Amino acid sequence: MANSIDKSIDESLFEFATYDEQQAEMTGYSNYSYWRSTIQVFMKNRVAVFLLFLMIGLLAFTMIQPFLPGQKSPTEIHIDENTGMQLRNHPPDKEFWFGTNSIGQDLWARIWSGTRTSLLIGFFVGLWEAIIGIIVGALWGYVRRLESTITGIYNVLNNIPTTILLILLTYIMKPSVFTMIFAMCMTGWLNMARFVRNLIVIIRDREYNLASRCLGTPTRRIITKNLLPYLVSVIMLRMALAIPAAIGYEVFLTYIGLGLPISIPSLGNLINEGRRVMGVPTLRYQLIFPATVLSIITISFYVIGNVFADASDPRNHV
Amino acid sequence: MLKYSAKRLLQSVVTLFLVVTIVFLLMRLMPEEGYFGEGYEKLDEAQREAILASMGLRDPIHIQLKNFYSDLFKGDLGESIIYRPKVAIAEILKSKIPYSVKFGVAAMAISLVVGIPLGILMARSKNQLWDKLGTGYIVFINAVPAAVYYLLLQLYVTDIFKLPILYNPDRPSSWILPAISMSLGGTASYAMWMRRYMVDELNKDYVKLARAKGLREKSIMVRHVLKNAIVPMVQYLPTSLLYTVSGSIYIESLYSIPGMGGLLVDAIQRQDNTLVQALVLIYSSIGIIGLFLGDILMASLDPRIKLDRKEGAR
Amino acid sequence: MDNSNVILSVKDLVVKFNLRGKILTAIRGASLDLYEGESLAIVGESGAGKSVFTKTFMGLLDANGWIDSGSILYKGEDLAKYKTEDDWIKIRGKEFAMVFQEPMTSLNPLRTIGSQVEEAVVLHQGLTGEEAKQKVIEILDDVGIQDPERRYYQYPHEFSGGMRQRVVIAIAVACNPRILICDEPTTALDVTIQAQILNLLKELQKKYNLTIIYITHDLGVVANVADRIAVMYAGDIIEIGTSEEVFYNAQHPYTWALLSSLPQLGVKGQDLYSIKGTPPNLFNEIKGDAFAPRNDKALKIDFIKRPPYFEVSPTHKAKTWLLDPRAPKVEPPESIKFLRRKWKVKANERSE
Repeated sequence: MANSIDKSIDESLFEFATYDEQQAEMTGYSNYSYWRSTIQVFMKNRVAVFLLFLMIGLLAFTMIQPFLPGQKSPTEIHIDENTGMQLRNHPPDKEFWFGTNSIGQDLWARIWSGTRTSLLIGFFVGLWEAIIGIIVGALWGYVRRLESTITGIYNVLNNIPTTILLILLTYIMKPSVFTMIFAMCMTGWLNMARFVRNLIVIIRDREYNLASRCLGTPTRRIITKNLLPYLVSVIMLRMALAIPAAIGYEVFLTYIGLGLPISIPSLGNLINEGRRVMGVPTLRYQLIFPATVLSIITISFYVIGNVFADASDPRNHV
Repeated sequence: MLKYSAKRLLQSVVTLFLVVTIVFLLMRLMPEEGYFGEGYEKLDEAQREAILASMGLRDPIHIQLKNFYSDLFKGDLGESIIYRPKVAIAEILKSKIPYSVKFGVAAMAISLVVGIPLGILMARSKNQLWDKLGTGYIVFINAVPAAVYYLLLQLYVTDIFKLPILYNPDRPSSWILPAISMSLGGTASYAMWMRRYMVDELNKDYVKLARAKGLREKSIMVRHVLKNAIVPMVQYLPTSLLYTVSGSIYIESLYSIPGMGGLLVDAIQRQDNTLVQALVLIYSSIGIIGLFLGDILMASLDPRIKLDRKEGAR
Repeated sequence: MDNSNVILSVKDLVVKFNLRGKILTAIRGASLDLYEGESLAIVGESGAGKSVFTKTFMGLLDANGWIDSGSILYKGEDLAKYKTEDDWIKIRGKEFAMVFQEPMTSLNPLRTIGSQVEEAVVLHQGLTGEEAKQKVIEILDDVGIQDPERRYYQYPHEFSGGMRQRVVIAIAVACNPRILICDEPTTALDVTIQAQILNLLKELQKKYNLTIIYITHDLGVVANVADRIAVMYAGDIIEIGTSEEVFYNAQHPYTWALLSSLPQLGVKGQDLYSIKGTPPNLFNEIKGDAFAPRNDKALKIDFIKRPPYFEVSPTHKAKTWLLDPRAPKVEPPESIKFLRRKWKVKANERSE
């Protein structure tokens, strides 16, 4: 191959260019922010974004619903003016949007009241799980003397099936919202603690953190930069998933007769009431309405939680 | 392998002992009226105390524990109080377990036969139609409480296909829907895990090497990926199999199947303390035994396993 | 080396990837002729496209990558046109085999060593049963595994990293290929093991008549084994020649920089040279010489027009405008000058 010389090139171009250090570095990759990337990835999932807005709307609605005009009390028993009897199983109409139940209570009001109860349970369970989980997990990971003890306790508790422990606790305690939250927390914190512990062990032992520490990075910075983002995202995930789980357990416990007292409307109670009358085709709305609302809520939180978990995983960031 | 099994066995026995003890102690907090049959209201305080004392419930707690264990080793689970007064609990279980196991095993078989291929299909068509449909199904099953879709299935499917609403031992057509309903959850979780493990395996280096070797995708799937993806799932099979004993609380009560699931609900609703205690203890031990069997099974399939894996890091 | 024994000829290969909707050009028009029986080393920083380049020969690109243009001629066929698995099956293993970087994960943990090697023997040598097993044991022995009859039944976790790499090599050899691609074969191994593996590859090359392509970022490995060196930067081969030519008479400023950062060439008392800046972002279109922004002696034309190959000798060429007669004379760094003086001495020795 002979070296052919391209005559079209201007001679003056064969001069030194000025070296620009910034340009040499600029060629590299973009600056990266954990939360911005997380939000970006999350926003790309249209379904999750839609459900998120739906849930924000629904949450706001359940809060203000009792204060809106024309709303009925969820526990008031309506009386038929003509007969003086309870307005039982009144089908949905302009007055009672979702009809009335078998003792004449307004189903629409009961559904939103029940949603409030169930969300409240889910929210507190998520919160307490996080608090207990982080404390135990941190002790488990950091305090080496406690490590084997907590591991032992974990192994024993982890071996008792969740539903059995739930049944046991609700069986020996008085039925109430507190019992519900307490029982679910007792079973739920285990996963959280294990997760936090694993994170801390990673912080303690992983090479990049060791390197970071050798380079003189203060522990505070390692915690805020390497641990906290994970922790916050995990807590958000657990909170999001605690809601469908809590609703599911509440339905289950109610079904087997260990649920909330009938006087407190909850989604579990409503499903259970609906079940009793579902044999009659014209009364099925009493099951269908609460079941639909419940399904929308649980699916939404479940999807939001999982998509968020994916989005918060740095491996999915560009 | 032998050393591993022995160690694992010892560990399980200790855990089992601890769990049973803790559960037993918790059960001492059960409401007291559950120890009386009919007529609790009519008894006065002294009579109640006398009865409780005669049942050994006023003994110091360590004596109660000792008595409980010595009965347990004789295979004596006590007698039912309210559900079927004075009948040995072991006797009641004997009549109930076969129903639960029959439905449980059928449901598990359906789950495996449908769930595993579904997971494989999803992994192979990642992010395409089948994957999306499968994911939708898994999300629905995982998010919505089982009671809701069980109820809807019973309500509408029996209508559409003219199936009997309740279980009838003489009509096989009445067995279909309970078994299928019961399999839905398992199908979802087998599909989900199968997909996850398959995707994990497909990204591993040895798959690249197998491809570079000149193996076809099909052979890579069959000879390498499938086996490696199924092995971690095998660990949970003994537990699932053992849990068929407990039956499905929902399904059995919805379809009036005279099995174990309904028994627990009945015992709770009628506050039969001894029966609740026996059932709770059985169910808590199943998990530990199942996990033990699963680990042993795993160890026989995966040559890497020794007991160096840190507990709690699982 | 004349053209008659070119067994693989790559021309103007362009490979692109789709990463979350953004297009990345990993290989930007690289060309390469591979001669039968030689060992060629492709060197460059990580991310230069070395692995991607060789993966295209076997159709092993990830699903989001594709050959955009160019050709890969092998035995009169253009591999760049291959699409289906049926096409590639004719090539993989049979003609090209590959040794990967990570011996710890390259083997299936749940199958015995023997069965994994045997798979290749059955597939490519048409042997079965006892015959295949004997062949496997023979190959295991060839790659220096002691007591192969016993090792045949063991699992990967019972092998050390170096031993596993021998097994991976055994699998490659068992395919009976013509060309062996070794992708960073020693990077994950201890230094003492590295030399053993390289020697083993040299022996196997003779015994099995292999043509070997080494991919590495370690010039020490190259010096040990390669007949020729191709220097890769930002998806293009910017300089290629015999090992001696590239080592002692490098022409491209990037090759200079690469050589200058070798600790062995450092001058006592001075800081070791390191290349400034970072490799270019391959998502952007690159104009001119890709190395120009990091080159403090770049010419204006380096930012405007991509240099063609300039021939230094019949076996040595480089893509740099510095070789254009109109270019100003640029003094290479001290260490390169030192190497050139050695080159002259060698050249004199040869002419005598």
